[in-house]
Amino acid sequence: MTDVVLETHNLTKQFIRRKGLSSPRNPFGKTVFTAVKGIDLTVGRGEVFGLLGPNGAGKTTLTKMLCTLLLPSAGSAKVCGYDLARQEGKIKSKIALISSEERSFYWRLTGRQNLDFFAALHGIPKKNARQRIEEVLEIVDMTEAAGRRFQEYSTGMKQRMGLARGLLADPEIFFMDEPTKGLDPIATWHLHDFIRNRLAEAGKTVIVATHHLAEAEQICDRVGIMYAGEMRASGPVKELIGDSTLSDFFRDLVEQTMVERAGN
Amino acid sequence: MAFLKKDFLMEVSYRFSFVLQFASIFFSVVMFYFVAKLLGEAPSVQKSLSEYGGNYFSFVLIGIAFSNFLSVGLGSFSTNIRSEQMIGTLEAMLVTPTTLSNIVLSSSQWSFAFTSLRVGVYLLIGGFFFGVSFTGAAVLPALLALVLTVVAFSSLGIISASFIMIFKRGDPIAFAITTSSTLLGGVYYPISILPGWLQSLSYLFPITYSLHAIRLSLLQGGGFSEVGGDLLALVIFSCITLPISLVCFRLAVARAKRDGSLAHY
Repeated sequence: MTDVVLETHNLTKQFIRRKGLSSPRNPFGKTVFTAVKGIDLTVGRGEVFGLLGPNGAGKTTLTKMLCTLLLPSAGSAKVCGYDLARQEGKIKSKIALISSEERSFYWRLTGRQNLDFFAALHGIPKKNARQRIEEVLEIVDMTEAAGRRFQEYSTGMKQRMGLARGLLADPEIFFMDEPTKGLDPIATWHLHDFIRNRLAEAGKTVIVATHHLAEAEQICDRVGIMYAGEMRASGPVKELIGDSTLSDFFRDLVEQTMVERAGN
Repeated sequence: MAFLKKDFLMEVSYRFSFVLQFASIFFSVVMFYFVAKLLGEAPSVQKSLSEYGGNYFSFVLIGIAFSNFLSVGLGSFSTNIRSEQMIGTLEAMLVTPTTLSNIVLSSSQWSFAFTSLRVGVYLLIGGFFFGVSFTGAAVLPALLALVLTVVAFSSLGIISASFIMIFKRGDPIAFAITTSSTLLGGVYYPISILPGWLQSLSYLFPITYSLHAIRLSLLQGGGFSEVGGDLLALVIFSCITLPISLVCFRLAVARAKRDGSLAHY
């Protein structure tokens, strides 16, 4: 890998839950839940990397840590060459987080007004912002609908607005958390096409967290398979699965993990 | 400016509510006009309010108008944070290069701007319809008192937002200060009618100094020499509480990031 844009070493996230009044005998006791355990990961520029795993595998927690929304409990990471623990601000200027969360917009405002607001948060000067907003609206084919309130959009349109917002500051890395959740097959195809032919072609790195095996197989150069907070395997899709399907590979991996745990 | 514009657009998108807020000011002023009429020219009222010219309506008009800044300063930071958490936009903002402190401070711009507009409407209604005279008002000392009031109340509001960041609901700071300030700060009655020990307590709250300075400036034309003590008290209060509030907020954010509860509500 010539140009590494993301690397993690032993990245770990533990959540500490205080027992409180739900445990009257030991109200000051704590339980520790390890959501992400010892992740070592390297992703190169222009790569589409899939974080694959079932619900609760730790994909979203890992994504949030890399987006600076969560503090790691242990380990280290560099995003675009910047240290995750010390250079949060610089990392934020290089990344975009696109989730399937429709609620991350102001529903009473129009699409264009929403983008105008987020462009300001990205520090895009006002005179450039208007032009940039029109550019990204055109890229996601939302120019005509941009004057309508966000609440009037369909799920697919809302997702495209999420993409438009992600594109505003021309980031180097796109983190996408379940990007096709709730999308119909045509909208899904359009998004996949966009990731492969617009973002990857332009040298952008895309990290896609998904539990859709077919999606990972279709768009990712490499995948990391997560289960119970651990990265169980990673590599190019074809190398990992050989002649098998990703689905069979994934099932075998989960079964293997369960056998290992039963043995312990 | 981005927050101001966004919040203005959001506010006017609910047109009926926007208009109602101004209508409510009118009814509130009318109500206190009749209360003032009931109290009339009673000697005890005249005596208690002699420092401010003896007119209860002018006195209470300033009190209810400017106590709006107390509510906004104390409540807007935590309310806005909670609102962004609930509508789901906080995380989207936090992945931009704008810092959280900047987001929190900017998110209250509209609340302060709108409150200034509301206070203006209070004073206009009082002046035009009910004969309150501001002809001899000393505007500069009043404006300085207002700025210091905003800073002092905002410091308390940021501490309050720190609680919301961790506990999500049930903020003891805002509750304690709002109720105590309303009771002891001289919003509806002068603190001189309080028992001595309560009067002493009232000097712990910035609203006491704010209202005293603003009333003296606007109603009696009090200059810097008359309100200097109040302004100094507000400066000292802000110098102590502002750094504390910023440290509290930084600790609260670090804890929320550790717990993974930044966007929870």
